[in-house]
Amino acid sequence: MGRFLARRLLLTLLVVLVTSIVAFSLVHLSGDPAAAMAGEGASATDVAAIRRLYGFDRPLTVQYFAWAADVLSGEFGRSYYLRESVVQVLAEHAPVTALLGSLALGFALLLAIPLGVLAALRRGGMMDRLASALAVTGQAAPSFLLALLLIYVFGVRLHWLPISGNATTAHYVLPAITLGMYATPALLRLTRSGMIEVMQSDHIRTARAYGLAPWRVVLRHALRSAIIPVVSLAAVQFGLMLGGSIVVEAVFSLKGLGQLAWESIQRSDIEVIQAILLLTSLVYAVLTLLADLLNALLDPRMRLT
Amino acid sequence: MNRLRGLALAGSAAMSLLLPQTAAWAGKADDTLTFATANEVDTVDLYYQNLREVVIISQQTCDTLMYRDPIDSAYKPLLGTSYRWIDDKTLEFKLRHGVKFSNGQEMTSADVAYTFNHARQPDSGMVTRLLVDWIENVEAPSPDTVIFKAKAPTPAAIEYLSGITPIYPAGHYDSAPTVQTGGKPRRDYGAVLPVCVGPYVIKDFKPGASVTLVKNDQYFADSPKGKPSIGTLVFKTIPDNDTQLAELVTGGIDWIWGVPTENAKQLAEAPNVTVKAAPTTRMSFLSLDASGRTGKNPMQDVRVRRAMFYAIDRKAIARELVGEGAEVLQAMCDPRQFGCATGVPDYPYDPAKAKALLAEAGYPNGFKTDIYAYRDRPYTEAVMNYLREVGIVADLQFLQWKALRPIMEGGKAQLAQLTWGSQGVLDASASVSNYFKFSVDDYARDAEVRDWLEAADTTTDPTKRKDLYAKALTRIADQAYFIPLFSYGRTYAFNSDLDLPVTPDELAHFYRAHWKK
Repeated sequence: MGRFLARRLLLTLLVVLVTSIVAFSLVHLSGDPAAAMAGEGASATDVAAIRRLYGFDRPLTVQYFAWAADVLSGEFGRSYYLRESVVQVLAEHAPVTALLGSLALGFALLLAIPLGVLAALRRGGMMDRLASALAVTGQAAPSFLLALLLIYVFGVRLHWLPISGNATTAHYVLPAITLGMYATPALLRLTRSGMIEVMQSDHIRTARAYGLAPWRVVLRHALRSAIIPVVSLAAVQFGLMLGGSIVVEAVFSLKGLGQLAWESIQRSDIEVIQAILLLTSLVYAVLTLLADLLNALLDPRMRLT
Repeated sequence: MNRLRGLALAGSAAMSLLLPQTAAWAGKADDTLTFATANEVDTVDLYYQNLREVVIISQQTCDTLMYRDPIDSAYKPLLGTSYRWIDDKTLEFKLRHGVKFSNGQEMTSADVAYTFNHARQPDSGMVTRLLVDWIENVEAPSPDTVIFKAKAPTPAAIEYLSGITPIYPAGHYDSAPTVQTGGKPRRDYGAVLPVCVGPYVIKDFKPGASVTLVKNDQYFADSPKGKPSIGTLVFKTIPDNDTQLAELVTGGIDWIWGVPTENAKQLAEAPNVTVKAAPTTRMSFLSLDASGRTGKNPMQDVRVRRAMFYAIDRKAIARELVGEGAEVLQAMCDPRQFGCATGVPDYPYDPAKAKALLAEAGYPNGFKTDIYAYRDRPYTEAVMNYLREVGIVADLQFLQWKALRPIMEGGKAQLAQLTWGSQGVLDASASVSNYFKFSVDDYARDAEVRDWLEAADTTTDPTKRKDLYAKALTRIADQAYFIPLFSYGRTYAFNSDLDLPVTPDELAHFYRAHWKK
């Protein structure tokens, strides 16, 4: 277990190091950070002044190592644009994305797992067709289209829910449904196929032969086996949601990490970009680790040594 | 993707118009005007951010020495009461008595001197250098007198001091934090919340999210801005245009701008929304490499440049594509700017003449070139189509501004469609002089034009100035160094309970707004 964790930690550090170098290079190769910061309304003189002031006229390697040295000493820097420490900026934006991601994942799991189980148990039936239609629609509809539709129905038409901002929990309902719908099809299909496979396996036949109640067979024995890949996928989906729900955050004007990352890339706010990458790589690594541990709990054959 | 999105939006906007408008218009009921745009505002200090949103916010909260009336463009004293040029390089201002900053401190000449002496420093980090680079020093000989010493005669000084250079109390920036940028220490002056004299006072500022302003009841009565009427102004960032529209229709916000042409008509039919368009100072133009900075190229031949001018139907682009508020641009300046001569050689749309000129220049079958652009792709595509009609095949290199800027500076763009808003300055020194005085953006490198502009920028006699700008602009047009295309329009949509003047300066003067009875 100890060696496993150490290996994972080393791998995570390597991932973080490589992504930070690649991101740093890409931000500089994709354009002039001073021009991005000055904006299109700035003259060449204004851009030159900013380039000097912020040290963008120094060699890239010097700039990178200066940043890396700061990070190693616990100083994550300051957003050029928002004029706040990066830690403070992340502390303001991360909870929004975390709440949105959790609600969206919760919505997706609540919808996908029961529907997937029912679709598997009634193959070819009404419920299966409904699940299939939902999966296809969820997969095919772009997030912004669903978002606009929800805004129209629940915001403009019915006035039930707020349509922008994150002042109250109600502000998260429509974004969470939009984002959750994006994750639902894959989870639903995986639950369904997993259940179909497990329901035909020997241990389920044995459980039935013992005369166990059907719900007990499904929930205690079949679902427990079928859900293992769903847990892994949910972890990946959650990572994706935390890393970049850019469209949903933009449409619903949520000040989350996805929107922050997008805006920071537009304005070459390198220290914020680096910090977001650092955070998301760590979150990914932790989520993957958690998924492995959870799978090991669910399936003794996968126990770590 | 954009088309699909447009269709979705058009559909939902159309549907929303069919609905009974049951939304409560919170604005009037709670005396709060909420305005929203897509941009995040990082600071409300105009010296450290040149976004139009920040100009709007700053003009509600921070007065300047002079005021340029947005309706008739007349200069009126604001924090100053009068001014006079002592000599070509010395400008004296008399200041208003008894005017107080939002912190209760009375404004004196020491505050004015402090503000400009801070901003003019090369390491101040001030973002619009044009506004302060002319200043050698500012002195405060008595509490109500301030003297600007200019480096050279600066006839545009009054324009620079009108509306975009706020006055802060002495010592204002002392609390600016020292921050590290990649191991390099610097003072972050933009992080200090402005303290000003103005119709509104900043109550709350959340960087990147919102700004709340409240009416300043102590604001001086005889201000040319007038006494503010609306109690609270709230600025919010809503990145998505469609969400802005939905919020406006449902009464969540009271004012938006940049309404797409395709939505403006539908929106105007909504009973509770007023839609108005107005021109702006932002110009769109083609930069041609006449001096050969990119190497030998067809655009070094004046006949080719004139042919390109004739090839483009600028009227059609402005009218059909850019939409309401847009105007055909006659010269490389905005007609409202001082010194902008409009009677310069023109090249009406004439593709036959364009083809003949190309043949005369040795390009009977046209030629191939790259065209760089960073904004409004459909407009560039329209230009490309017109050029293709006469045989010039342009390969579009559509980049973000931050990527195009170094290409332009490096002299690597033979042909580029650019835009420029003159930093909101209504003087030709901010437009034509920005591009033809051998700066990194100058692809003409005409010494005669440069000298005329240099003289115009530093001549105090208005008639002489106008003549010099006219000479430069005439030569630029005659030689077709740049092809001015159109000036942008802006479409504004707002709560129809609101009485608000829509002005041609791409700003919103909320201090002049009031709720209709």
